[in-house]
Amino acid sequence: MVRPVRKVVIVGGGTAGWLTAGVIAAKHRARMSAGFSVTLVESPTTPIIGVGEGTWPTLRSTLSRIGVSETEFIRQCDVAFKQGARFARWTTGAADDWYYHPLMLPQSFSQVNLVPHWLTGHSDRSFCDTVCPQGRICDDDLAPKTIATAEFEAIANYAYHLDAGKFATFLQRHCCEKLGVRHVLADVRRANLRADGDIGSLDTEQAGEIEGDLFVDASGFKSLLIGETLGVPFKECGDVLFCDTALAVQMPYESDAAPIASNTISTAQSAGWIWDIGLPTRRGIGYVYSRRHISDDDAERELRSYLGPAGEDRPLRKIAMRCGHRETFWKRNCVAVGLSAGFLEPLEASAIVLIEMSAKLIAEQMPTCREVMDIIAARFNETTRYRWGRIIDFLKLHYVLTKRDDSAFWRDNRLPETIPERLQELLLLWRHQAPWFHDEFDRIEEVFPAASYQYVLYGMGFRTEVEPESLAGDARHAERAIRENAVQTERLRVGLPRHRDLIRKIHEYGLSPV
Amino acid sequence: MNAATESMRRLELLNADAHGHLRMRSSSAACPHFVQIVVNEFGAAAASCPILFTKEAATGQFYAGALFGFKPGESFLPETLERGGFNPLNLQRDGFFISGEDIAIDLDSPRFSDTEGEPLFDPARQPSASLRQIQRVLGQLQAGTDMTQAFIRELTGLKLIEPIDVQLNFTGGERITLEGLYTVSLDRIRELDDTSAVRLLRSGYLHLAYTMNVSLKQLPIFAHLRNQAFRRTAAKT
Repeated sequence: MVRPVRKVVIVGGGTAGWLTAGVIAAKHRARMSAGFSVTLVESPTTPIIGVGEGTWPTLRSTLSRIGVSETEFIRQCDVAFKQGARFARWTTGAADDWYYHPLMLPQSFSQVNLVPHWLTGHSDRSFCDTVCPQGRICDDDLAPKTIATAEFEAIANYAYHLDAGKFATFLQRHCCEKLGVRHVLADVRRANLRADGDIGSLDTEQAGEIEGDLFVDASGFKSLLIGETLGVPFKECGDVLFCDTALAVQMPYESDAAPIASNTISTAQSAGWIWDIGLPTRRGIGYVYSRRHISDDDAERELRSYLGPAGEDRPLRKIAMRCGHRETFWKRNCVAVGLSAGFLEPLEASAIVLIEMSAKLIAEQMPTCREVMDIIAARFNETTRYRWGRIIDFLKLHYVLTKRDDSAFWRDNRLPETIPERLQELLLLWRHQAPWFHDEFDRIEEVFPAASYQYVLYGMGFRTEVEPESLAGDARHAERAIRENAVQTERLRVGLPRHRDLIRKIHEYGLSPV
Repeated sequence: MNAATESMRRLELLNADAHGHLRMRSSSAACPHFVQIVVNEFGAAAASCPILFTKEAATGQFYAGALFGFKPGESFLPETLERGGFNPLNLQRDGFFISGEDIAIDLDSPRFSDTEGEPLFDPARQPSASLRQIQRVLGQLQAGTDMTQAFIRELTGLKLIEPIDVQLNFTGGERITLEGLYTVSLDRIRELDDTSAVRLLRSGYLHLAYTMNVSLKQLPIFAHLRNQAFRRTAAKT
């Protein structure tokens, strides 16, 4: 007899829980009249950890798909636009050492790889400015669209900076009011296993027993189901990525009219880096560092020095980070999403995008019966393990390309035994050919596309050998793309409004859905 | 668009003491290729040209307009007679503006003169017949603007507005794509629940929506006029 999968039970009411609930409920809304249900169990006592405030452009399509209004999202979650990240002092540590990792692809990316052309003929300008307008847009604190651009549509590709606490509340209301998600406020005492080893139900403090066919563990670092109940081991990656602690602080703006940065600013320090994220109402700033390389006191001194006099008395929050991920993400009838699946330093804002990708995969591949669940779980695990691996590689890339020699932290980061084999191989390959469209990152949904590797590699001074004769074939095409980029850059710098002005107008008039 | 350009003008509140000497010529404004109109003009407009929505650049809010040409400087129906007598309120009021309860005038507008045209005030300092006509136009415009906004609010709430892509290929190879234009989706109207559909009918909005839709039939007529003009020019050279 087949055992249908109809009751999805999600444990945890943070970003991971509510996003997963929303994505599953939106996809399976029509089945709800036939007994399909999504229940989210949230502890009334556990506080939510805001996992970073940066997102990827994927969140636009995710929010659009679950039927959220972008205007309301921007108004209610203290949202600002993010057009990429500016990495300062990562290469040499000097004051004028910085580059952008923007969100727009290089011009004509699908037709021509501009890297070798830039290396041989244009390297007097930065790679980013040669191939993409977004760095200059960010320099000017401009918005990625205008008030006349429809919701979720872009003139320049964008993601968001947001208040994670407000975001969870916003999603909760949408999920419960519009998508038919059941919300149960209760502490989970324990999970009850069936004879076959599956999770059968949850015993809760306030709401009795809750039965389910598929359980989503979004319980945060606690990993209530995947860790505590099913005992899936955690795989640390501290040998590759050293940072294990963060000191976070919130800073008010000097005035209501102060510009809002249109990008994350990430500034390298002696033993880690400082994030600086501009929301409309405040800046969120934090130092992510390795306690093996710096003491908490010294880290605080470096952070205070970054904040300047205005930050002297601001209270700091210390967060211990355990970087790594579960060996398996979907075991039996339980799948982990968010912090329970793993955590990595927020250098490239990978937390929420991973939640989105996992939620989408679960929603699209939702097993109709228990008998096929293991097949889908195996696929899910394969894909998710690949994604975590690629993110770790990509984060490490920022550290191995450094030329900084001023502290053990940066020197240790370049030790070959700390660099994943796959990344070492790619670095060797990239000395002789630049990463591009279809030669390496061939998965349908790569977390970081080849363009991202280009921006980081050539932003940090990496050099690929180019045989000039090999470029003749598409030289004219490349020159045209570079010229077009210059024209587009000027057009956008004139046409785009200031970031703060657009946020103000969205609060006043709203964006139109079309 | 309007708000931005209006703020560049030299506006003064109209009063008989300061402007008793002033005269107005008939409107000299060339017919632009797109003129903002209000719902009470839809019937007259639809008989001669397409009615579409576009967005105010400064606020992103929709407004309705009559399309007279495919690009700036182009107008297929420059004369009121060619438009079957339809003369948009926004062209009639050229040089005059509403400022709260009062009328303001743009002293830099070529419409005003000390010597030519009809006087604004009679010897008793009362508004002249010409000025009274302008007052009526501004009154209609103000009431119509409120009604148009209510119409657009209802359409937006019911998600009935959709972008329209107009791509035109002309004799001689020129291609024009009209961007930033919107219309009412008949498909979405058909999908409305009964309550909303009846509300739309009773409020008169359904009629306005169909009027906009029918007016789109003017687009191929304009394209034909444009091709004819092109052939005439080509034949001469």
